[in-house]
Amino acid sequence: MKNRIRMYRAMHEVTQETLAQDLGVTRQTILAIEKGKYDPSLFLAYKIAKYFNLSIDEVFLLDSLDD
Amino acid sequence: MKRVMYYFYIAIVAFIEVLVFAWSVEAGEPMPTIIAVVIGIAMLYIGRSYVDEVTGDERTQKINEITALRTLQITWVVLFLYALWVILEAFSMGINHYNRVIGAYGFRMMFFLCCIILVYVILSLYYNKKYGA
Repeated sequence: MKNRIRMYRAMHEVTQETLAQDLGVTRQTILAIEKGKYDPSLFLAYKIAKYFNLSIDEVFLLDSLDD
Repeated sequence: MKRVMYYFYIAIVAFIEVLVFAWSVEAGEPMPTIIAVVIGIAMLYIGRSYVDEVTGDERTQKINEITALRTLQITWVVLFLYALWVILEAFSMGINHYNRVIGAYGFRMMFFLCCIILVYVILSLYYNKKYGA
């Protein structure tokens, strides 16, 4: 699953470290999600979207249902 | 407490454990080592609760789950093969010359393997029920 976290992070001038701290996860998790190596849980996806005042589908993009 | 400080704390606890172990061997008293290990584990758990930084999250939990399952699967296969090999060793001189000592060792390992599988099945049923099955 692709996502636009890096882009929104840059727009809000938030570092991976700050985002991770605010969401209560490790920086490695943010890095893994940004790289598309790890798909977050629905709860974390909501938290990320809410952090940027967006909806989930604005942050996360489903390429296909096989994802 | 910072995470780096916690690692330092772990090193100190481990060093004390080694000292207690050395003293135990020297004195021929196994009990202090057993007590020290239990206290050491408790100290590590208590120490971890004082770490301010996030040390684990859903990703690390998922990694731990997969790692634990794979380790268990590999252990099952390796332990089963080893136990089988030991039991066959006990019969290596023929069925009438069964080596009781080696055989008992092999069958004991098989028993522990069955216990591990039993615990796995019980826990699996419990969590299946807990999460809606």
